Amino acid sequence: MNAFFRRIEMFGALLLAVIWISPLLFAFWAAFHTTSDAVNFNVAAPWTLDNFRTAWAGAPWLRYFLNTFVLVTVILAGQFVVTTLAGFAFAKVRFPGRDLVFILVLMQLFILPEVLIVENYAMVSRLGLFDTIPGVGMPYMASAFGIFLMRQAFKGVPIELHEAARVEGCGWFGILWRVYVPLARPTYLAYALVSVSTHWNNFLWPLIVTNSPDTRPLTVGLSIFGAPENGVDISVISAATMMSIAPLLVAFLVFQRQFVQAFLRAGIK
Amino acid sequence: MTDPFVHMENVAKRWNSQLGVENISLSIPRGSFVALLGPSGCGKSTTLRLLSGLELPDEGQITIDGRNVTLAAPSERNLSMVFQSYALFPHLSVAENVVFGLKVRKVAAAERREKLKRALDITGLLGYEARRPGELSGGQRQRVALARAIVANQPLCLMDEPLSNLDAKLRASVRKDIKKLQVDLGITVVYVTHDQTEAMSMADMVVLMKDGRIQQTGAPEDLYYRPANTFVAEFVGAPPMALIDGRILPGFPGAATIGLRAENMRLADPGTGRLTCHVSECEFLGSETFIGLSHPAASGLTVSMPGLKHIPTGEEMEITFADEDLHFFDEGGLRLLQPTGVSA
Repeated sequence: MNAFFRRIEMFGALLLAVIWISPLLFAFWAAFHTTSDAVNFNVAAPWTLDNFRTAWAGAPWLRYFLNTFVLVTVILAGQFVVTTLAGFAFAKVRFPGRDLVFILVLMQLFILPEVLIVENYAMVSRLGLFDTIPGVGMPYMASAFGIFLMRQAFKGVPIELHEAARVEGCGWFGILWRVYVPLARPTYLAYALVSVSTHWNNFLWPLIVTNSPDTRPLTVGLSIFGAPENGVDISVISAATMMSIAPLLVAFLVFQRQFVQAFLRAGIK
Repeated sequence: MTDPFVHMENVAKRWNSQLGVENISLSIPRGSFVALLGPSGCGKSTTLRLLSGLELPDEGQITIDGRNVTLAAPSERNLSMVFQSYALFPHLSVAENVVFGLKVRKVAAAERREKLKRALDITGLLGYEARRPGELSGGQRQRVALARAIVANQPLCLMDEPLSNLDAKLRASVRKDIKKLQVDLGITVVYVTHDQTEAMSMADMVVLMKDGRIQQTGAPEDLYYRPANTFVAEFVGAPPMALIDGRILPGFPGAATIGLRAENMRLADPGTGRLTCHVSECEFLGSETFIGLSHPAASGLTVSMPGLKHIPTGEEMEITFADEDLHFFDEGGLRLLQPTGVSA
């Protein structure tokens, strides 16, 4: 009976995995075949790289890649600074109203970012950051999830280490920099992986707040490239999609073990 | 040197619910080894933390080396500290751990290297520079903590139960090492422990505490031979001093309680003893056997007999002792200099 259930469970997992990956596999297959072969599932059709040539010529991809890269880096850097300082304050500094403020920060987790799009749009415009990369990144820098994660990581650091550093002459920033940050490295890694993959894939907000090829990230560029008014060519769109997800996909495959381990380790704490 | 090196004057620290410390006054001469001794929760660690500046007192004054440091930060007090858990930074190597404080204080690299080498040499850690604390044994970690404490040449070193995480055999040898280190370097050590053997064997001065208050301060022999109250009498010495209700020993009317050490007790022939007790247990220690005795009006009666002895539980025994070996305490448990001949 037990073995039976285990088999069902295995089958269910496999089924889910196949459903999950099939669009990706199809896109991969379509990217290397002509449109008619791809749509007709012609298995014996010859492989071709023409789609990539067409797609690459059709949009300033290099610029988009650079924009996405800069965007992801700026967001991650901002998040590290803000979440480190806020997490440390919530974990180790005693100040009146700390728990209340922390609850307010956590409330951010209940609010979908999409709900705030109009308000964020108005705010970014008022700051004069419309259609700039800092403008795209700013709303995500004070991440409640990141603050929570850092607070948990810092709380796990033994108080003796903090006290030893104090006796040795460290100030608040010295202790944070020399003791807490190095000890929270697995958490930083886990958070960086989540943050990079989220913002590499983020679409709606950048679509709204960017207006020119100079600031547009990959996702927005791809959607404009694939928009119906340009004519739908499944194979070329697939090729463009493959190009834009390739760096992230390769990074995931390379760092697969660290990715999973980072989460396990960050979770255990 | 008339001025004490470290001085605490009526220091108190209170928490809302927890018991802190009250009325702590303490003078520590330069270059001495002071043990803060007491059962857990007695305030000895709090006292040490007040000295270190990790806690600030609610009342009183603390001076170190003639400077009022009552509210100063730990780093301004020119002291080093060894923690019970060693508090080694797991992400740093042995060498980086040892020079951590020097680096924070921006000591030049050449000087740092020199001091590191000296500290590692003294603690026998040369060759372990590149290891991480996780790759060291408990004893080695303990030595790294010691090396970190001595590397900066601070005149005062605070130690919070540094041996409690070591096994018994290692503890005895590290105890000697620490004592030797303290004498060689001429530093002042304040050492917290709940183990009276550690306190008695290492310290020049023992401060025995209970419930946040100092019970007695003095040389180890003072505490042993002249306990200030019944708590000290029962805490110091193995086996502890036996306490006998004063009413059952005629001739000492002022003494509510009478204390007697095991080594001053002898077995007496039937009919000649001063107390008749029953054997409650035998504890064989190798060279001698402690025989625990029970008596309805006394606690902790133990007589030491040479070699291995097996005496059945419940057997009647008579003991005797000399008057000059007795210790007298009044109703409040305080020591009486002489048993008053007059009825109280």
